[in-house]
Amino acid sequence: MYRTIFLKARLITLFFFCLLWLGACTGQRKEPEEKQKRIEKKIGVLLISHGSHSETWRNTLFELENNVRDRILEKGKVSGTKSAFMEYTEPSIATRLKEFDQEGYSDVIIVPVLLTVSSHSFDDIPTIIGLKENPESIEMLKLENIERYTPQANVHIAPLLDFNEILQKNMLRRARQLSKNPEDEGLVLIGYGSEPYEKEWAELFNKAAEHVEEHTGIDEYTVGWCGHIVRYAPDSTTTAIKRILEKKNTAIVIPALVALDENFQVRIIGGGIEKIKDHKTRVRYKPDAILPDPEVEQWVVDITRQYSNNIFNEKAN
Amino acid sequence: MRKSSGESLRKINNILHRDLGYFFAALIIAYSLSGIALNHVDDWNPDFIISKEEIKLNESYQKNDITPDLIKDFSAKVGENGYRLYDFPSSRQVKIYYKDATLMVNLQNGEALYEKISRRPLFYQVNVLHRNSVAWWKWISDVFAITLIIMTITGILMLRGSKGLSGRGKWLIAAGFVPPLIAIVIQQL
Repeated sequence: MYRTIFLKARLITLFFFCLLWLGACTGQRKEPEEKQKRIEKKIGVLLISHGSHSETWRNTLFELENNVRDRILEKGKVSGTKSAFMEYTEPSIATRLKEFDQEGYSDVIIVPVLLTVSSHSFDDIPTIIGLKENPESIEMLKLENIERYTPQANVHIAPLLDFNEILQKNMLRRARQLSKNPEDEGLVLIGYGSEPYEKEWAELFNKAAEHVEEHTGIDEYTVGWCGHIVRYAPDSTTTAIKRILEKKNTAIVIPALVALDENFQVRIIGGGIEKIKDHKTRVRYKPDAILPDPEVEQWVVDITRQYSNNIFNEKAN
Repeated sequence: MRKSSGESLRKINNILHRDLGYFFAALIIAYSLSGIALNHVDDWNPDFIISKEEIKLNESYQKNDITPDLIKDFSAKVGENGYRLYDFPSSRQVKIYYKDATLMVNLQNGEALYEKISRRPLFYQVNVLHRNSVAWWKWISDVFAITLIIMTITGILMLRGSKGLSGRGKWLIAAGFVPPLIAIVIQQL
């Protein structure tokens, strides 16, 4: 009788131990899975630029990605890089973000290859990726058939190129290439411009021009625009050059545009120069662009490293 | 026999011109309206009516002063009860977003610009077609362009005699070349 009761008690105890052990095992298995999920960060880098009908322009941006890819990937924190254009041509931002989602990326670092604040950087791109709903951007994007897409991956937007002294160094290098006799020369910087942020653009260009003055001995400068702010007309270029030629013998004209687009560097700026009477002798101009520039490349590498480190640190915390 | 085959060809020509004209009448008018609107894109916004209202806040602010309550106060001044989001394009500006409007406040001088956007009736719709805002529309647009060429040729061949191509027609066609030629020559100078 007692033996049977003892046997039953032992069996029941054994059964409970088994249950406890199984429970413990299951719990142990669950914890690393959750941890693993948190650790499994897959970070991508998306270089976003304005976009252009010019193939030369687009190739320059693809080249930028090619030149930085290995350096971005070498630390192992970033798993892939892509380029996207905001308008005109594929690959669009939506296309690329969908690809990142399909490839299972958890985080995408967006690097806008744009000079400084504009409606594109401040409103259009955030609206495209679902971070904002700017009414004007929404309507324009719809009209221009630009797809909006809110990615599943977390999006981190890096600062614009005006974040450090890239433009100043770039302008100095290019001014030096064209300069022969600094005392006789004045500098003319031509940029895209932005109506709502004209002050910010002017400040950026003034700083860059002052940097050139400081390091070359050129002591006069003017700024002109070639973008939507002047309705893509060459007149602003002509006016800026004329103002310099009133004081100096030669004008050094530098297009402060991200990449070479024949419509801007040749038709608009070149057209503005041709309106100057003695332009062949008094204007020095090379239809080039900010890119290619090793400093810009290094900046892209540095900023993506900084952001990818932050993403990993956030996760570790 | 030859005369009757010529007659039937002319009949086909006229039918083609007439029926294509009927079919594409709406599109011709839509594209013409949109063409006029887009020709003057530098002088007006053919797609949207953007109403702008400047207001003065009579105070200057620092970026750090900006709180959700202050944003609500700014919004109330332009008749907005709530807001969707606010963001700082620069240290001197804050932009507040509403459903179909925005308010850009210059923190330094307290000046603010309230912009409300709405679609320009009729022009927005015809511009959607002219701009190929619907991706597949470009193929319809190509067909339409080819049809315009056909309609022009069939129109030229429609009449005979002194009012046809061999009469006044050839002179008017030649005259039609003059304005574009003048423009091209001037551009080349």
